[in-house]
Amino acid sequence: MHRVAILGLGNVLMGDDALGPYAVRLFEAEYHVPDSATVQDLGTPGLDLVPHLADVHAVILLDTVRSAGTAGELRLYRRDEILEHPPQPRVSPHDPGLKEALLALAFSGQGPREVLLIGVIPQSTAQGIGLSAPVAAALPAVQAEIVRELERLGCPATRRAVPSSPDIWWER
Amino acid sequence: MSKRIVIDPITRIEGHLRIDVEVEGGKVRDAWASGQMWRGIELILLGRDPRDAWLFTQRFCGVCTTVHAIASVRAVENALGMEIPLNAQLIRNLIVIAHAMHDHIVHFYHLSALDWVDVVSALQADTAKTAALAESLSPWPHNNRLQLEQVKSKLASFVAGGQLGIFTNGDWGHPAMKLPPEVNLLAVNHYLQALEYQRKVNQVVAILGSKTPNIQNVAVGGVANAINLDNQSTLNMEKLYKIKDILDEIGAFVQQVYLPDVCAVGALYADWLPYGPGVKNYLAVPDLPLDTKGTQFDLPGGTIFDGDLGNAKAISSFQDPYFKENVTENVTHAWYEGSGTLHPWDGETKPHYTEFQDDGKYSWVKAPRFQGKPMQVGPLSQVLVGYALGHEPTRKWANHALDTAGAVAKTKLSPAVLHSTLGRHLARAVRTAVICDLAQKHWELLVGNIAKGDTAIYNEPVFPKGEQRGFGFHEAPRGTLSHWVVIRDGKIANYQAVVPTTWNAGPRDDKGQKGPYEASLIGNPVADPERPLEVLRTIHSFDPCLACAIHTFDAEGKEISTVRTL
Repeated sequence: MHRVAILGLGNVLMGDDALGPYAVRLFEAEYHVPDSATVQDLGTPGLDLVPHLADVHAVILLDTVRSAGTAGELRLYRRDEILEHPPQPRVSPHDPGLKEALLALAFSGQGPREVLLIGVIPQSTAQGIGLSAPVAAALPAVQAEIVRELERLGCPATRRAVPSSPDIWWER
Repeated sequence: MSKRIVIDPITRIEGHLRIDVEVEGGKVRDAWASGQMWRGIELILLGRDPRDAWLFTQRFCGVCTTVHAIASVRAVENALGMEIPLNAQLIRNLIVIAHAMHDHIVHFYHLSALDWVDVVSALQADTAKTAALAESLSPWPHNNRLQLEQVKSKLASFVAGGQLGIFTNGDWGHPAMKLPPEVNLLAVNHYLQALEYQRKVNQVVAILGSKTPNIQNVAVGGVANAINLDNQSTLNMEKLYKIKDILDEIGAFVQQVYLPDVCAVGALYADWLPYGPGVKNYLAVPDLPLDTKGTQFDLPGGTIFDGDLGNAKAISSFQDPYFKENVTENVTHAWYEGSGTLHPWDGETKPHYTEFQDDGKYSWVKAPRFQGKPMQVGPLSQVLVGYALGHEPTRKWANHALDTAGAVAKTKLSPAVLHSTLGRHLARAVRTAVICDLAQKHWELLVGNIAKGDTAIYNEPVFPKGEQRGFGFHEAPRGTLSHWVVIRDGKIANYQAVVPTTWNAGPRDDKGQKGPYEASLIGNPVADPERPLEVLRTIHSFDPCLACAIHTFDAEGKEISTVRTL
């Protein structure tokens, strides 16, 4: 069976940037996925995304997105849209991100064929703990997109009979 | 007349390193380094349980997660005067080792080699000559002509397709690019191989840390890796042997590919050897502790002042007052209130933003000082301190690297050439080679200790009433990292992290002494002010790390890095 990775990206200490880590925990608490799928919070990994993308057939990324629109709106992107614009010049090692990881893997003939980025427009990514109300309100829609994509990939998630409580440790 | 160049990456919403240089006659005359993001993340820790601090500090930064976990638990253990079980030290050491190998390989091949390597020029390479050159440098078996042909045709198809993908923003054809096509092709070949090896070494961190990035297995008092050699779900012989196999493979790649590559690139850019020294005061702390208390180490630490290896002084334990008493931070030129110099335990984080003032405040980074002096940190400090203190593995690999580079450059190179931009790259490769030797040793120490029947991994921390102060240091890949904690009645009352990039990227201080980035840029050549590649070469050689706190995908692909010529 093709491997699928569901990856949350973002910093839990920077307001709405916690969306990715929050959403993967919520998803794991409410859904069960087949063994071929992995669910992980990767924080802000930069090029360290490479090992998590190299061997998978498909990836679903959850992240905040800078886009025109109001906070809490969803934006979906496929591989070609993510790679549409070239990567930028590098100043610090942390500048490279998703695009660079996908391109580096493409050059070596690896990486996922199927990419879906589920993005949410943040209200604030200033330092602080906790999601803003509009971004928190977007979480059910994010869940629904993950479920739909897994279905499409032939790797369907099943709702847990009894949801567990998500471990949002940074909000404790 | 002088020209001001501002390199200001405004990527991912906010916060980054900004470099301003004044150029006159093709050389940098003055320089400013500015952190553009408020670093007050420590405030989030106030009032929290010190046992949880490492979970939060790990999220300071995306790529350097592990190092902040290690420094944090060491700081709290230091405050409580704790020892941790030997297995816990050794398991942490193996994580530290694997993380460093990974970080350095990525830094050279994927983050900075393209400052020196012209990928497009590799298309002109003669593969037979490239294979012969490779053979003269190293016994590595994956440099044969067939493989080189494959890499070359892959590159050709990328270029023919009108897109360079990952290499789009390289400075192709820049007048400062000097490598022959054959060396460029060899570097592209190794760029691809490095992608594999960085993935592999990551598995060691994942096996021991349960997860990477953001390891899960450390705790104040030890680690959470239950040891039972016959149990599938614990740390067992099967997992230990898998770790050993990976460490062996990475060791071969580092010593047979990474190190010779850096030697060759450095030698072929020998005209760059005078550039980029800057601050010649060096600081490194000891690491890879060999006992439960942290009084014996496999990697030495200490200080060197004014580039004089003869005055090297050791830092000898996790408790050493020489480190504890001599670190301060000054905020004269940083966007914080006042102009004071404070010890980290008394450190304040009270922002006071002005605009960028050349002679006033211009950075969010504070200016750390050791005995009032700016210090360079990172692999160059690690290697020079090790060399000066007679650390055998460091001397062996440093001499080997200087001999190899000298053979290519057809000259005799002394350790003095290391005080430079290229020296920082060479030192990073030397340090990685040293760490690969020590990886074997620490694996054997762990297995040997377990074989004796010791399976202890954790000592329970006890928090007394009243106040305790602690500091924890870790010699991270980018240099000296220290966390400073004040605990009151079991809760965090103050917390400060003095990170490697703060030491290197910090601004001027109350005495006007420049930070290491700033000082290293003075005299740096700039051929084309519109494409200041040479400035980036020197800055990249430090492996800067400021910019990682947020991950937001930029949908519009806006120009997020700008170079302005004023």
